[in-house]
Amino acid sequence: MINVKDASKSFGPTRAVSTLSFDLEPGRITGLLGPNGAGKTTTIRMIAGFLSPDTGSISVAGCDVRTNPVAARSKLGYLPEAAPLYHELKPAQYLDYRAKLFSLSRPERKSAIARVIDRCRLTDMAHKRIGVLSKGYRQRVGLAAAIVHDPPVLILDEPTNGLDPAQMRTTRALIAELATDRTVLLCTHVIPEVERACARVLVIAGGRLIADGPPDEIGIQTNAIRIECEGQCDQPLRIAITSALGENTKITTAQTQLPRPGWITLNIAPAPNQSRAAGCDPQADIARALAGINRAVRHISGAAAPLEERVVDLIERTAEQEPGARP
Amino acid sequence: MISPQPLLAIAGREFGSMFRTPVGWIVTALYALLTAVLFTLQTIDPGAPATLRYFFTPAAWLLLIVAPAISMRLFSEEYKAGTIEPLSTAPVGPMTIVVGKFTGALASVAAMLIPTLAYPIVLALLADGPLDAGAIASGYLGLLFVAMLYLSVGTLVSTTTDSQVLAFLITLIALVLIMVAAGPAARHAPGFLLPVLAELSVQNRAAVFAAGVLESRHVVFFIATSGALLAGAYASLTIREGR
Repeated sequence: MINVKDASKSFGPTRAVSTLSFDLEPGRITGLLGPNGAGKTTTIRMIAGFLSPDTGSISVAGCDVRTNPVAARSKLGYLPEAAPLYHELKPAQYLDYRAKLFSLSRPERKSAIARVIDRCRLTDMAHKRIGVLSKGYRQRVGLAAAIVHDPPVLILDEPTNGLDPAQMRTTRALIAELATDRTVLLCTHVIPEVERACARVLVIAGGRLIADGPPDEIGIQTNAIRIECEGQCDQPLRIAITSALGENTKITTAQTQLPRPGWITLNIAPAPNQSRAAGCDPQADIARALAGINRAVRHISGAAAPLEERVVDLIERTAEQEPGARP
Repeated sequence: MISPQPLLAIAGREFGSMFRTPVGWIVTALYALLTAVLFTLQTIDPGAPATLRYFFTPAAWLLLIVAPAISMRLFSEEYKAGTIEPLSTAPVGPMTIVVGKFTGALASVAAMLIPTLAYPIVLALLADGPLDAGAIASGYLGLLFVAMLYLSVGTLVSTTTDSQVLAFLITLIALVLIMVAAGPAARHAPGFLLPVLAELSVQNRAAVFAAGVLESRHVVFFIATSGALLAGAYASLTIREGR
Protein backbone atom coordinates (compact mmCIF):
# COMPACT_ATOMS: atom_id res chain seq x y z
CA MET A 1 0.00 0.00 0.00
CA ILE A 2 2.85 2.37 0.83
CA ASN A 3 6.09 1.70 -0.95
CA VAL A 4 9.15 3.78 -0.09
CA LYS A 5 12.26 3.01 -2.08
CA ASP A 6 15.63 4.69 -1.46
CA ALA A 7 13.95 7.98 -0.58
CA SER A 8 16.26 10.80 0.48
CA LYS A 9 15.59 14.38 1.42
CA SER A 10 17.95 17.20 2.34
CA PHE A 11 17.31 20.71 3.58
CA GLY A 12 20.33 22.66 2.46
CA PRO A 13 23.39 20.88 3.87
CA THR A 14 21.33 18.84 6.35
CA ARG A 15 20.31 15.39 5.24
CA ALA A 16 16.95 14.74 6.90
CA VAL A 17 16.24 11.33 5.35
CA SER A 18 18.79 9.07 3.75
CA THR A 19 17.98 6.20 1.33
CA LEU A 20 14.97 5.06 3.27
CA SER A 21 13.12 1.96 2.07
CA PHE A 22 10.11 0.07 3.40
CA ASP A 23 6.76 -1.38 2.33
CA LEU A 24 3.56 -1.24 4.34
CA GLU A 25 0.86 -3.84 4.00
CA PRO A 26 -2.89 -3.21 4.25
CA GLY A 27 -4.99 -3.92 7.33
CA ARG A 28 -2.53 -3.11 10.06
CA ILE A 29 -1.00 -0.27 12.02
CA THR A 30 2.69 0.41 11.64
CA GLY A 31 4.41 2.65 14.15
CA LEU A 32 7.11 5.08 13.14
CA LEU A 33 9.44 5.78 16.05
CA GLY A 34 12.57 7.82 16.48
CA PRO A 35 14.08 10.68 18.47
CA ASN A 36 13.39 14.33 17.67
CA GLY A 37 14.99 15.29 14.37
CA ALA A 38 15.26 11.64 13.29
CA GLY A 39 13.42 12.32 10.04
CA LYS A 40 9.97 10.95 10.97
CA THR A 41 7.98 14.02 10.01
CA THR A 42 10.01 14.50 6.83
CA THR A 43 9.27 10.87 5.94
CA ILE A 44 5.53 11.16 6.42
CA ARG A 45 5.44 14.53 4.69
CA MET A 46 7.10 12.94 1.68
CA ILE A 47 4.58 10.10 1.68
CA ALA A 48 1.71 12.58 2.04
CA GLY A 49 3.05 14.61 -0.87
CA PHE A 50 3.75 17.76 1.16
CA LEU A 51 7.46 17.42 0.48
CA SER A 52 9.05 15.99 -2.60
CA PRO A 53 11.86 13.43 -2.16
CA ASP A 54 15.20 14.50 -3.70
CA THR A 55 15.93 10.95 -4.82
CA GLY A 56 14.17 7.60 -4.71
CA SER A 57 10.49 6.91 -5.15
CA ILE A 58 7.39 6.74 -2.99
CA SER A 59 4.07 5.31 -4.03
CA VAL A 60 0.71 5.17 -2.29
CA ALA A 61 -1.70 2.45 -3.41
CA GLY A 62 0.32 2.07 -6.59
CA CYS A 63 0.43 5.79 -7.47
CA ASP A 64 3.78 7.54 -7.45
CA VAL A 65 3.62 10.67 -5.27
CA ARG A 66 5.91 12.59 -7.62
CA THR A 67 4.68 11.63 -11.06
CA ASN A 68 1.00 11.15 -10.15
CA PRO A 69 0.51 13.30 -7.05
CA VAL A 70 -3.22 13.96 -7.37
CA ALA A 71 -4.08 10.23 -7.65
CA ALA A 72 -1.71 9.35 -4.79
CA ARG A 73 -3.20 12.05 -2.52
CA SER A 74 -6.74 10.95 -3.29
CA LYS A 75 -5.93 7.55 -1.74
CA LEU A 76 -4.44 9.04 1.36
CA GLY A 77 -5.84 10.44 4.59
CA TYR A 78 -3.38 12.58 6.50
CA LEU A 79 -3.55 14.04 9.98
CA PRO A 80 -0.62 16.41 10.46
CA GLU A 81 0.82 17.03 13.92
CA ALA A 82 -1.40 19.31 16.07
CA ALA A 83 -4.29 18.91 13.58
CA PRO A 84 -4.22 22.36 11.93
CA LEU A 85 -7.80 23.50 11.27
CA TYR A 86 -9.72 26.63 10.32
CA HIS A 87 -10.98 27.90 13.65
CA GLU A 88 -13.74 30.06 12.21
CA LEU A 89 -15.48 27.04 10.67
CA LYS A 90 -17.72 24.49 12.36
CA PRO A 91 -16.69 20.81 12.16
CA ALA A 92 -19.54 20.02 9.75
CA GLN A 93 -18.51 22.96 7.50
CA TYR A 94 -14.85 21.93 7.61
CA LEU A 95 -15.67 18.32 6.75
CA ASP A 96 -17.85 19.52 3.86
CA TYR A 97 -14.95 21.67 2.62
CA ARG A 98 -12.53 18.73 2.86
CA ALA A 99 -14.99 16.44 1.07
CA LYS A 100 -15.26 19.00 -1.75
CA LEU A 101 -11.47 19.08 -2.06
CA PHE A 102 -11.67 15.34 -2.68
CA SER A 103 -14.35 15.98 -5.35
CA LEU A 104 -17.08 14.02 -3.57
CA SER A 105 -20.54 14.56 -5.03
CA ARG A 106 -23.27 16.18 -2.90
CA PRO A 107 -24.96 12.87 -1.85
CA GLU A 108 -21.54 11.30 -1.19
CA ARG A 109 -20.55 14.28 0.93
CA LYS A 110 -23.72 14.13 2.96
CA SER A 111 -23.35 10.45 3.81
CA ALA A 112 -19.57 10.69 4.33
CA ILE A 113 -19.88 13.60 6.75
CA ALA A 114 -22.63 11.84 8.74
CA ARG A 115 -20.50 8.70 8.84
CA VAL A 116 -17.30 10.35 10.09
CA ILE A 117 -19.11 12.58 12.58
CA ASP A 118 -20.66 9.47 14.05
CA ARG A 119 -17.44 7.45 13.91
CA CYS A 120 -15.33 10.16 15.53
CA ARG A 121 -18.06 10.90 18.08
CA LEU A 122 -18.46 14.52 17.05
CA THR A 123 -22.24 14.67 16.92
CA ASP A 124 -22.58 17.08 19.85
CA MET A 125 -19.85 19.36 18.54
CA ALA A 126 -20.61 19.32 14.80
CA HIS A 127 -22.19 22.77 14.85
CA LYS A 128 -19.89 24.59 17.27
CA ARG A 129 -17.00 26.65 15.98
CA ILE A 130 -13.72 24.69 15.86
CA GLY A 131 -12.03 27.57 17.68
CA VAL A 132 -14.06 26.91 20.84
CA LEU A 133 -13.54 23.13 20.87
CA SER A 134 -11.14 21.39 23.26
CA LYS A 135 -7.87 20.00 21.93
CA GLY A 136 -9.26 16.48 22.03
CA TYR A 137 -12.25 17.41 19.91
CA ARG A 138 -10.05 19.32 17.46
CA GLN A 139 -7.91 16.21 17.13
CA ARG A 140 -11.06 14.24 16.38
CA VAL A 141 -12.12 16.80 13.76
CA GLY A 142 -8.69 16.41 12.15
CA LEU A 143 -9.07 12.65 12.19
CA ALA A 144 -12.59 12.88 10.75
CA ALA A 145 -11.25 15.13 7.98
CA ALA A 146 -8.52 12.59 7.23
CA ILE A 147 -11.05 9.79 6.69
CA VAL A 148 -13.95 11.73 5.15
CA HIS A 149 -13.08 10.41 1.66
CA ASP A 150 -12.65 6.86 3.01
CA PRO A 151 -8.98 6.48 2.02
CA PRO A 152 -7.27 3.09 1.99
CA VAL A 153 -4.14 4.62 3.54
CA LEU A 154 -4.03 6.72 6.69
CA ILE A 155 -1.03 8.64 8.02
CA LEU A 156 -1.29 10.02 11.53
CA ASP A 157 1.37 12.29 13.00
CA GLU A 158 1.24 12.34 16.81
CA PRO A 159 -2.54 11.81 16.93
CA THR A 160 -2.67 11.68 20.74
CA ASN A 161 -0.25 14.54 21.38
CA GLY A 162 -1.53 16.77 24.18
CA LEU A 163 -4.59 14.67 24.93
CA ASP A 164 -5.62 13.63 28.43
CA PRO A 165 -5.54 9.88 29.26
CA ALA A 166 -9.26 9.40 28.58
CA GLN A 167 -9.02 11.18 25.22
CA MET A 168 -5.91 9.16 24.38
CA ARG A 169 -7.75 5.94 25.04
CA THR A 170 -10.71 7.01 22.89
CA THR A 171 -8.42 8.10 20.04
CA ARG A 172 -6.41 4.87 20.26
CA ALA A 173 -9.59 2.80 20.07
CA LEU A 174 -10.74 4.81 17.08
CA ILE A 175 -7.42 4.31 15.28
CA ALA A 176 -7.55 0.57 15.97
CA GLU A 177 -11.09 0.51 14.56
CA LEU A 178 -9.97 2.40 11.44
CA ALA A 179 -7.05 0.05 10.88
CA THR A 180 -9.24 -2.98 10.34
CA ASP A 181 -9.58 -2.18 6.66
CA ARG A 182 -6.79 0.35 6.08
CA THR A 183 -3.05 0.75 6.08
CA VAL A 184 -2.21 3.02 8.99
CA LEU A 185 1.16 4.64 9.58
CA LEU A 186 1.31 6.06 13.09
CA CYS A 187 4.08 8.48 13.92
CA THR A 188 4.37 9.02 17.66
CA HIS A 189 6.65 9.60 20.61
CA VAL A 190 4.40 7.60 22.91
CA ILE A 191 6.01 4.17 22.89
CA PRO A 192 3.35 2.40 25.00
CA GLU A 193 0.91 3.52 22.31
CA VAL A 194 3.00 1.73 19.71
CA GLU A 195 3.27 -1.37 21.89
CA ARG A 196 -0.50 -1.50 22.27
CA ALA A 197 -1.60 -0.59 18.77
CA CYS A 198 1.06 -1.52 16.23
CA ALA A 199 1.71 -4.82 14.57
CA ARG A 200 4.97 -3.50 13.18
CA VAL A 201 7.46 -0.82 14.17
CA LEU A 202 9.89 1.18 12.06
CA VAL A 203 12.64 2.93 14.01
CA ILE A 204 14.36 5.88 12.36
CA ALA A 205 17.47 7.62 13.61
CA GLY A 206 19.65 10.10 11.78
CA GLY A 207 17.37 9.83 8.76
CA ARG A 208 18.00 6.08 8.41
CA LEU A 209 15.83 3.07 9.13
CA ILE A 210 17.61 1.25 11.94
CA ALA A 211 15.00 -1.34 12.87
CA ASP A 212 11.89 -2.85 11.36
CA GLY A 213 9.80 -5.59 12.93
CA PRO A 214 7.07 -6.50 15.43
CA PRO A 215 7.25 -4.46 18.67
CA ASP A 216 8.31 -7.46 20.76
CA GLU A 217 11.24 -8.16 18.44
CA ILE A 218 12.56 -4.62 18.01
CA GLY A 219 16.03 -4.18 19.45
CA ILE A 220 15.99 -7.63 20.98
CA GLN A 221 19.41 -9.08 21.58
CA THR A 222 18.96 -12.81 21.89
CA ASN A 223 21.56 -13.04 24.64
CA ALA A 224 20.31 -10.00 26.59
CA ILE A 225 19.91 -10.37 30.36
CA ARG A 226 17.92 -8.26 32.77
CA ILE A 227 18.72 -8.29 36.47
CA GLU A 228 17.52 -6.53 39.55
CA CYS A 229 20.26 -6.32 42.16
CA GLU A 230 21.18 -4.46 45.30
CA GLY A 231 23.26 -1.27 45.30
CA GLN A 232 24.42 1.05 42.53
CA CYS A 233 25.80 0.46 39.07
CA ASP A 234 29.28 1.19 40.35
CA GLN A 235 32.76 0.10 39.33
CA PRO A 236 32.89 -3.16 41.40
CA LEU A 237 29.59 -4.24 39.89
CA ARG A 238 30.74 -3.48 36.34
CA ILE A 239 34.03 -5.31 36.89
CA ALA A 240 32.19 -8.34 38.29
CA ILE A 241 29.84 -8.52 35.30
CA THR A 242 32.50 -7.96 32.63
CA SER A 243 34.76 -10.52 34.26
CA ALA A 244 31.89 -13.01 34.04
CA LEU A 245 30.69 -12.18 30.51
CA GLY A 246 33.58 -10.50 28.71
CA GLU A 247 35.18 -7.10 28.27
CA ASN A 248 32.77 -5.72 25.66
CA THR A 249 29.61 -6.43 27.62
CA LYS A 250 27.30 -3.44 27.60
CA ILE A 251 25.64 -2.57 30.92
CA THR A 252 22.86 0.01 31.06
CA THR A 253 20.66 1.07 33.92
CA ALA A 254 17.02 0.39 33.12
CA GLN A 255 14.54 3.20 33.70
CA THR A 256 11.94 1.50 35.83
CA GLN A 257 8.87 3.49 36.76
CA LEU A 258 8.82 2.45 40.41
CA PRO A 259 12.37 1.43 41.42
CA ARG A 260 12.75 -0.24 44.79
CA PRO A 261 14.88 1.92 47.10
CA GLY A 262 18.44 0.56 47.20
CA TRP A 263 17.90 -1.68 44.19
CA ILE A 264 18.63 -1.19 40.52
CA THR A 265 17.57 -2.90 37.35
CA LEU A 266 20.23 -3.47 34.71
CA ASN A 267 20.11 -4.45 31.07
CA ILE A 268 23.17 -6.49 30.20
CA ALA A 269 24.11 -7.14 26.61
CA PRO A 270 27.12 -9.42 26.11
CA ALA A 271 29.15 -8.56 23.01
CA PRO A 272 27.60 -10.33 20.00
CA ASN A 273 30.92 -11.91 18.95
CA GLN A 274 31.74 -13.09 22.47
CA SER A 275 32.89 -16.66 22.21
CA ARG A 276 31.55 -18.82 24.97
CA ALA A 277 32.04 -22.41 25.83
CA ALA A 278 29.25 -24.78 24.93
CA GLY A 279 26.80 -25.36 27.78
CA CYS A 280 27.82 -22.23 29.70
CA ASP A 281 25.08 -20.27 31.48
CA PRO A 282 25.58 -16.47 31.44
CA GLN A 283 22.77 -15.89 33.96
CA ALA A 284 24.40 -18.30 36.42
CA ASP A 285 27.79 -16.65 35.77
CA ILE A 286 26.38 -13.23 36.62
CA ALA A 287 24.65 -14.53 39.75
CA ARG A 288 27.94 -16.05 40.92
CA ALA A 289 29.90 -12.89 40.11
CA LEU A 290 27.47 -10.66 42.03
CA ALA A 291 27.44 -13.07 44.97
CA GLY A 292 31.23 -12.74 44.93
CA ILE A 293 30.96 -8.99 45.63
CA ASN A 294 28.12 -9.42 48.13
CA ARG A 295 25.37 -8.00 45.96
CA ALA A 296 21.99 -9.63 46.46
CA VAL A 297 20.06 -10.46 43.29
CA ARG A 298 16.28 -10.32 43.41
CA HIS A 299 15.53 -11.16 39.82
CA ILE A 300 17.52 -12.34 36.83
CA SER A 301 16.14 -13.32 33.46
CA GLY A 302 16.73 -13.38 29.75
CA ALA A 303 13.50 -11.48 29.28
CA ALA A 304 13.57 -8.50 26.98
CA ALA A 305 13.57 -4.97 28.30
CA PRO A 306 10.45 -2.87 27.62
CA LEU A 307 10.18 -1.48 24.07
CA GLU A 308 11.05 2.03 25.22
CA GLU A 309 14.40 0.90 26.63
CA ARG A 310 15.13 -1.28 23.62
CA VAL A 311 14.42 1.59 21.22
CA VAL A 312 16.57 4.02 23.22
CA ASP A 313 19.32 1.42 23.43
CA LEU A 314 19.07 0.75 19.71
CA ILE A 315 19.35 4.44 18.89
CA GLU A 316 22.34 4.84 21.21
CA ARG A 317 24.06 1.79 19.74
CA THR A 318 23.49 3.13 16.22
CA ALA A 319 24.94 6.50 17.21
CA GLU A 320 27.99 4.75 18.68
CA GLN A 321 28.51 2.63 15.57
CA GLU A 322 28.11 5.63 13.26
CA PRO A 323 29.64 8.50 15.20
CA GLY A 324 29.54 10.74 12.14
CA ALA A 325 25.83 10.23 11.67
CA ARG A 326 23.44 13.05 12.48
CA PRO A 327 22.08 12.53 16.03
CA MET B 1 -4.53 21.33 -14.11
CA ILE B 2 -7.44 23.12 -12.43
CA SER B 3 -10.21 21.04 -10.85
CA PRO B 4 -13.53 22.96 -10.74
CA GLN B 5 -15.07 21.55 -7.55
CA PRO B 6 -11.99 21.97 -5.33
CA LEU B 7 -11.42 25.42 -6.88
CA LEU B 8 -14.94 26.50 -5.93
CA ALA B 9 -14.51 24.95 -2.48
CA ILE B 10 -11.32 26.94 -1.88
CA ALA B 11 -12.86 30.13 -3.28
CA GLY B 12 -15.99 29.60 -1.17
CA ARG B 13 -13.97 29.09 2.00
CA GLU B 14 -11.92 32.24 1.32
CA PHE B 15 -15.04 34.26 0.66
CA GLY B 16 -16.82 32.83 3.70
CA SER B 17 -13.82 33.32 5.98
CA MET B 18 -13.61 36.96 5.00
CA PHE B 19 -17.09 37.54 6.41
CA ARG B 20 -16.81 35.11 9.31
CA THR B 21 -14.21 37.33 10.94
CA PRO B 22 -14.62 40.94 12.16
CA VAL B 23 -11.77 42.06 9.87
CA GLY B 24 -13.87 41.41 6.77
CA TRP B 25 -16.80 43.41 8.06
CA ILE B 26 -14.57 46.24 9.27
CA VAL B 27 -12.84 46.52 5.87
CA THR B 28 -16.22 46.41 4.11
CA ALA B 29 -17.70 49.04 6.43
CA LEU B 30 -14.69 51.34 6.03
CA TYR B 31 -14.80 51.02 2.26
CA ALA B 32 -18.54 51.75 2.24
CA LEU B 33 -18.04 54.76 4.50
CA LEU B 34 -15.18 56.24 2.50
CA THR B 35 -16.90 55.69 -0.83
CA ALA B 36 -20.04 57.29 0.62
CA VAL B 37 -18.00 60.37 1.52
CA LEU B 38 -16.45 60.39 -1.97
CA PHE B 39 -19.85 60.01 -3.56
CA THR B 40 -21.31 62.87 -1.54
CA LEU B 41 -18.40 65.22 -2.13
CA GLN B 42 -17.45 64.35 -5.71
CA THR B 43 -20.66 63.30 -7.41
CA ILE B 44 -23.62 65.15 -5.91
CA ASP B 45 -23.13 68.56 -7.49
CA PRO B 46 -26.29 70.48 -8.37
CA GLY B 47 -26.26 71.63 -11.96
CA ALA B 48 -23.39 69.32 -12.98
CA PRO B 49 -23.93 66.33 -15.30
CA ALA B 50 -25.16 63.22 -13.47
CA THR B 51 -22.21 60.88 -13.69
CA LEU B 52 -20.37 58.52 -11.38
CA ARG B 53 -17.10 59.15 -13.17
CA TYR B 54 -15.70 61.20 -10.27
CA PHE B 55 -16.69 58.46 -7.85
CA PHE B 56 -15.03 55.57 -9.69
CA THR B 57 -11.58 57.16 -9.96
CA PRO B 58 -11.03 57.73 -6.20
CA ALA B 59 -12.82 54.44 -5.43
CA ALA B 60 -10.04 52.74 -7.41
CA TRP B 61 -7.49 54.58 -5.26
CA LEU B 62 -9.10 53.17 -2.12
CA LEU B 63 -8.53 49.66 -3.45
CA LEU B 64 -4.85 50.34 -2.99
CA ILE B 65 -5.40 49.79 0.75
CA VAL B 66 -8.34 47.41 0.64
CA ALA B 67 -6.87 44.82 -1.76
CA PRO B 68 -3.68 44.19 0.27
CA ALA B 69 -5.83 43.91 3.42
CA ILE B 70 -7.79 41.11 1.76
CA SER B 71 -4.92 39.36 0.00
CA MET B 72 -2.51 39.40 2.95
CA ARG B 73 -4.18 36.42 4.60
CA LEU B 74 -4.56 34.21 1.52
CA PHE B 75 -1.40 32.13 2.02
CA SER B 76 0.36 33.79 4.95
CA GLU B 77 -2.42 32.73 7.31
CA GLU B 78 -2.31 29.15 6.01
CA TYR B 79 1.46 29.00 6.52
CA LYS B 80 1.23 30.45 10.01
CA ALA B 81 -1.61 28.18 11.16
CA GLY B 82 -0.14 25.09 9.46
CA THR B 83 -3.36 24.57 7.48
CA ILE B 84 -1.34 24.68 4.26
CA GLU B 85 -0.26 21.10 5.06
CA PRO B 86 -3.71 19.46 4.89
CA LEU B 87 -4.57 21.72 1.94
CA SER B 88 -1.43 20.82 -0.01
CA THR B 89 -1.89 17.12 0.66
CA ALA B 90 -5.43 17.11 -0.76
CA PRO B 91 -5.69 15.95 -4.38
CA VAL B 92 -5.51 19.52 -5.61
CA GLY B 93 -2.74 21.06 -7.69
CA PRO B 94 -1.00 24.31 -6.68
CA MET B 95 -2.68 26.16 -9.58
CA THR B 96 -6.13 25.20 -8.28
CA ILE B 97 -5.15 26.48 -4.84
CA VAL B 98 -3.80 29.78 -6.21
CA VAL B 99 -6.73 30.44 -8.54
CA GLY B 100 -9.26 29.31 -5.92
CA LYS B 101 -7.91 31.67 -3.30
CA PHE B 102 -7.63 34.54 -5.78
CA THR B 103 -11.21 33.95 -6.94
CA GLY B 104 -12.44 34.00 -3.35
CA ALA B 105 -10.60 37.25 -2.69
CA LEU B 106 -11.98 38.84 -5.87
CA ALA B 107 -15.47 37.73 -4.87
CA SER B 108 -14.91 39.42 -1.50
CA VAL B 109 -14.06 42.72 -3.24
CA ALA B 110 -17.10 42.30 -5.49
CA ALA B 111 -19.24 41.80 -2.37
CA MET B 112 -17.72 44.95 -0.88
CA LEU B 113 -18.80 46.88 -3.95
CA ILE B 114 -22.44 45.79 -3.56
CA PRO B 115 -23.33 48.54 -1.02
CA THR B 116 -21.96 51.14 -3.47
CA LEU B 117 -24.72 50.16 -5.92
CA ALA B 118 -26.89 52.44 -3.82
CA TYR B 119 -25.03 55.45 -5.26
CA PRO B 120 -26.26 55.12 -8.86
CA ILE B 121 -29.77 54.67 -7.48
CA VAL B 122 -29.47 57.84 -5.38
CA LEU B 123 -27.97 59.69 -8.32
CA ALA B 124 -30.77 58.53 -10.61
CA LEU B 125 -33.33 59.84 -8.10
CA LEU B 126 -31.60 63.20 -7.93
CA ALA B 127 -30.81 63.58 -11.63
CA ASP B 128 -33.15 65.19 -14.15
CA GLY B 129 -32.51 62.73 -16.95
CA PRO B 130 -31.65 59.05 -17.14
CA LEU B 131 -28.15 57.85 -16.15
CA ASP B 132 -25.79 56.24 -18.65
CA ALA B 133 -26.06 52.60 -17.51
CA GLY B 134 -23.22 51.57 -19.84
CA ALA B 135 -20.83 54.04 -18.25
CA ILE B 136 -21.78 52.82 -14.77
CA ALA B 137 -21.26 49.19 -15.77
CA SER B 138 -17.92 50.12 -17.34
CA GLY B 139 -16.89 51.96 -14.16
CA TYR B 140 -17.67 48.94 -11.97
CA LEU B 141 -15.87 46.68 -14.44
CA GLY B 142 -12.85 48.98 -14.16
CA LEU B 143 -12.94 48.72 -10.36
CA LEU B 144 -13.04 44.93 -10.60
CA PHE B 145 -10.10 44.92 -13.02
CA VAL B 146 -8.08 47.15 -10.71
CA ALA B 147 -8.97 44.90 -7.75
CA MET B 148 -7.97 41.89 -9.84
CA LEU B 149 -4.53 43.33 -10.51
CA TYR B 150 -3.95 44.47 -6.93
CA LEU B 151 -5.14 41.13 -5.52
CA SER B 152 -2.86 39.18 -7.85
CA VAL B 153 0.11 41.23 -6.58
CA GLY B 154 -1.07 40.49 -3.03
CA THR B 155 -1.54 36.79 -3.79
CA LEU B 156 2.02 36.52 -5.07
CA VAL B 157 3.42 38.36 -2.04
CA SER B 158 1.33 36.25 0.34
CA THR B 159 2.88 33.03 -1.01
CA THR B 160 6.31 34.26 0.09
CA THR B 161 5.77 34.96 3.79
CA ASP B 162 3.93 33.61 6.80
CA SER B 163 3.46 37.10 8.23
CA GLN B 164 0.21 38.78 7.27
CA VAL B 165 1.51 42.18 8.32
CA LEU B 166 4.56 41.77 6.13
CA ALA B 167 2.41 40.57 3.23
CA PHE B 168 0.19 43.65 3.61
CA LEU B 169 3.11 46.07 3.78
CA ILE B 170 5.07 44.54 0.89
CA THR B 171 1.96 44.53 -1.32
CA LEU B 172 1.12 48.12 -0.41
CA ILE B 173 4.70 49.28 -1.02
CA ALA B 174 4.83 47.43 -4.35
CA LEU B 175 1.56 49.02 -5.50
CA VAL B 176 2.63 52.50 -4.37
CA LEU B 177 5.99 52.08 -6.13
CA ILE B 178 4.23 51.12 -9.36
CA MET B 179 1.98 54.14 -8.98
CA VAL B 180 4.88 56.49 -8.27
CA ALA B 181 6.89 55.05 -11.15
CA ALA B 182 3.99 55.60 -13.53
CA GLY B 183 3.10 59.02 -12.08
CA PRO B 184 5.39 61.56 -10.39
CA ALA B 185 8.65 59.68 -11.09
CA ALA B 186 7.81 59.36 -14.79
CA ARG B 187 8.20 63.13 -15.17
CA HIS B 188 11.88 62.83 -14.31
CA ALA B 189 12.52 59.61 -16.21
CA PRO B 190 14.58 59.46 -19.44
CA GLY B 191 12.52 59.80 -22.61
CA PHE B 192 12.88 56.20 -23.75
CA LEU B 193 11.30 54.98 -20.49
CA LEU B 194 8.22 57.20 -20.72
CA PRO B 195 6.10 54.86 -22.89
CA VAL B 196 6.89 51.92 -20.60
CA LEU B 197 6.04 53.86 -17.45
CA ALA B 198 2.86 55.19 -19.03
CA GLU B 199 1.78 51.62 -19.67
CA LEU B 200 2.19 50.86 -15.97
CA SER B 201 -0.36 53.45 -14.90
CA VAL B 202 -3.25 51.53 -13.40
CA GLN B 203 -5.08 54.71 -12.40
CA ASN B 204 -5.03 56.07 -15.97
CA ARG B 205 -6.52 52.83 -17.22
CA ALA B 206 -9.14 52.88 -14.44
CA ALA B 207 -10.00 56.45 -15.45
CA VAL B 208 -10.74 55.23 -18.98
CA PHE B 209 -13.21 52.68 -17.60
CA ALA B 210 -14.68 55.35 -15.30
CA ALA B 211 -15.30 57.53 -18.34
CA GLY B 212 -17.44 54.74 -19.76
CA VAL B 213 -14.95 53.70 -22.42
CA LEU B 214 -14.26 49.98 -22.76
CA GLU B 215 -10.97 49.48 -24.60
CA SER B 216 -9.77 45.98 -25.28
CA ARG B 217 -6.10 46.91 -24.73
CA HIS B 218 -6.86 47.85 -21.12
CA VAL B 219 -8.87 44.67 -20.60
CA VAL B 220 -6.00 42.63 -22.03
CA PHE B 221 -3.51 44.51 -19.82
CA PHE B 222 -5.39 43.73 -16.61
CA ILE B 223 -6.04 40.09 -17.51
CA ALA B 224 -2.52 39.40 -18.82
CA THR B 225 -0.74 41.13 -15.93
CA SER B 226 -2.91 39.43 -13.33
CA GLY B 227 -2.39 36.08 -15.06
CA ALA B 228 1.39 36.57 -15.05
CA LEU B 229 1.37 37.49 -11.34
CA LEU B 230 -0.77 34.44 -10.50
CA ALA B 231 1.66 32.29 -12.49
CA GLY B 232 4.35 33.78 -10.26
CA ALA B 233 2.30 32.83 -7.19
CA TYR B 234 1.96 29.30 -8.58
CA ALA B 235 5.74 29.08 -9.08
CA SER B 236 6.36 30.44 -5.58
CA LEU B 237 3.99 27.90 -4.02
CA THR B 238 5.47 25.05 -6.03
CA ILE B 239 8.99 25.99 -4.96
CA ARG B 240 7.88 26.22 -1.35
CA GLU B 241 6.17 22.81 -1.52
CA GLY B 242 9.23 21.25 -3.10
CA ARG B 243 11.50 22.38 -0.25
